[in-house]
Amino acid sequence: MAKDRREFLVRLGIGSGVAALGAQTVASMRSLVPNVSYDAPTTVKLGMPNDFPDGLQFLPDERLYVVREGKTFHAISAVCTHLGCTVRAEALAKVETQTIDGPPLRLTHRFLCPCHGSKYNGDGTNVSGPAPKPLTWYHLSVAPEDGQLVVDLARPVDRDFRLTVA
Amino acid sequence: MRAKRVQTQPPAAPGVHPRRWWSFRPVSDRQAGDAIVSNFLLHWFPAKSFKASMAWSYSFWLGTISAALLFLLVLSGLPLLFLYIPSVERAYASVKDIEYVITFGSWIRAVHRVSAHLMVAAVFLHLVRVFLTGAYKNGVGQGQRRQWNWVLGVAMLLLTLFLSFTGYLLPWDQLAFWAVTVGTNIASSVPFIGPAVRELLIGGREIEQATLIRFYVLHVLFLPMAIGMLFAYHMWRVRKDGGLARTDSARLAEEKAEAPPSKSKTYTLLGIARGTAPQIRTSTLEARDTTVNSVPDLTRRIAIVILGTIAAVGILAVFVRSPLEEPANPLITPNPAKAPWYFLWLQEIVTDTTVRIGSFTVNGAFLGGVLLPGVLLALMTLWPWLDRSPAGAAGLWFAQSRRRQNVVFLILVAAVLILTVIGTFLRGPYWHFYWPWQPWPELPSRI
Repeated sequence: MAKDRREFLVRLGIGSGVAALGAQTVASMRSLVPNVSYDAPTTVKLGMPNDFPDGLQFLPDERLYVVREGKTFHAISAVCTHLGCTVRAEALAKVETQTIDGPPLRLTHRFLCPCHGSKYNGDGTNVSGPAPKPLTWYHLSVAPEDGQLVVDLARPVDRDFRLTVA
Repeated sequence: MRAKRVQTQPPAAPGVHPRRWWSFRPVSDRQAGDAIVSNFLLHWFPAKSFKASMAWSYSFWLGTISAALLFLLVLSGLPLLFLYIPSVERAYASVKDIEYVITFGSWIRAVHRVSAHLMVAAVFLHLVRVFLTGAYKNGVGQGQRRQWNWVLGVAMLLLTLFLSFTGYLLPWDQLAFWAVTVGTNIASSVPFIGPAVRELLIGGREIEQATLIRFYVLHVLFLPMAIGMLFAYHMWRVRKDGGLARTDSARLAEEKAEAPPSKSKTYTLLGIARGTAPQIRTSTLEARDTTVNSVPDLTRRIAIVILGTIAAVGILAVFVRSPLEEPANPLITPNPAKAPWYFLWLQEIVTDTTVRIGSFTVNGAFLGGVLLPGVLLALMTLWPWLDRSPAGAAGLWFAQSRRRQNVVFLILVAAVLILTVIGTFLRGPYWHFYWPWQPWPELPSRI
């Protein structure tokens, strides 16, 4: 009987020690997972549509290329799909017209990644290098209150997406 | 004269050491032994050391050099700890101050950086040496577990690389920022858990203050602590395993020579140990011509290696300037964006390993950045259990019975070195291949 009690107390001691350590570990680890994200917002106003030049425009803050063809717009991410470096645009010697998805596209540039040499067509299709998939296209819209172009960086779209501004 | 100065009294009682002090220049075996027993720093050495184990050409003393570099890194890290500010707004400026404003700052930073680079090289070469000599193999001693010391060593190589990785983030310059971008994206390429691991590593979805402070704490606290503990364990295991594997090969060689049997002891090389200590025959290892007193013969060599390393680094640091690139700019990736040399073989691999099977694509980030290094690492860690060569191959350079595995290992080492050279010297803008004599095209440094 006395032995049982002693054993029980020893186990209780060890058990509470382990529980206390475990709880502190869990609490410490949990505190490292942020509850609030101070990251930049994913919906960003880019400016008035008419201020964009015809062709390609790089927006470094959003790591985004906005392409304008007359009244239609689309936006291609500048984040390489391989390991996340910012791809650079290189002007093509002559403008090509291609139809991938949706209406035909005028391609004035191609995209090259400085980190591991991936190459993309002007529509974001990966053509060589280690990139596993095409550059992401993002949803564009016009802000109802002031008519600015708005990109939603949390909303990838298919490559037939075009925004036509009246 | 000197003999008189260090004369000792006979011990008052067994186990009581008569002298409070000890001598680096002992005149008797007893005094040499006392130095080990009564000195904290010398206590981890055996009283007697096997001569052949201390040969420069056997181990090249790469482990000691690595330890000396670690010591230098801690030492040069201390002043930097007072000068560096782990904040994204001020980190770059504080490193710039260390480099250009603070007296001796650039030298201290150079010592830290040069030691770090050399330590990666020394630890790697140490691993190569241990493999080629089969020194992770157990020989003739009882209770040897050299394979576990090999595992500890592999873990310390990883810690060394991770220390370097966390260290070069801290200046918060372009190299830092994009290395961390690429490094954490490799982690995030692991299916299912990858993105969560990346988020935990960088403390959010973007590389920001939370990332810097995490890497900082890892760099100055957790990783050095971990490597310090493993280092102590590593040294303790060397003692428990009866010294370097060279000892065992000598012992076996003598057995072949059929020396007359003599009594064995459970100590000598080890000092006194209980239970499963290696049994080493007294005749081999206590013989006057094969062993020497650790004090001063071993301690002298260790001093030469450590002081030599410190001197070499100190002088190198005068001539090698530590680079500081432009401040971190998340908007512009440098072209080309290169990792430090010891990661360039990995950068080269992730470039070449995106595989397309039909419409199915495996990202090179996962295949070359996680899977392939992971398999190599697992194989390397488990190798002592896969190596079926006889115990006689322990502690011998290029043992005949281990020839095939040594060749395969050397081919792998050569592959890593070749990829490193390609990444360092033959890659230009957009990671294109350029021979050294081919000029890089003029490209705008900004988009």
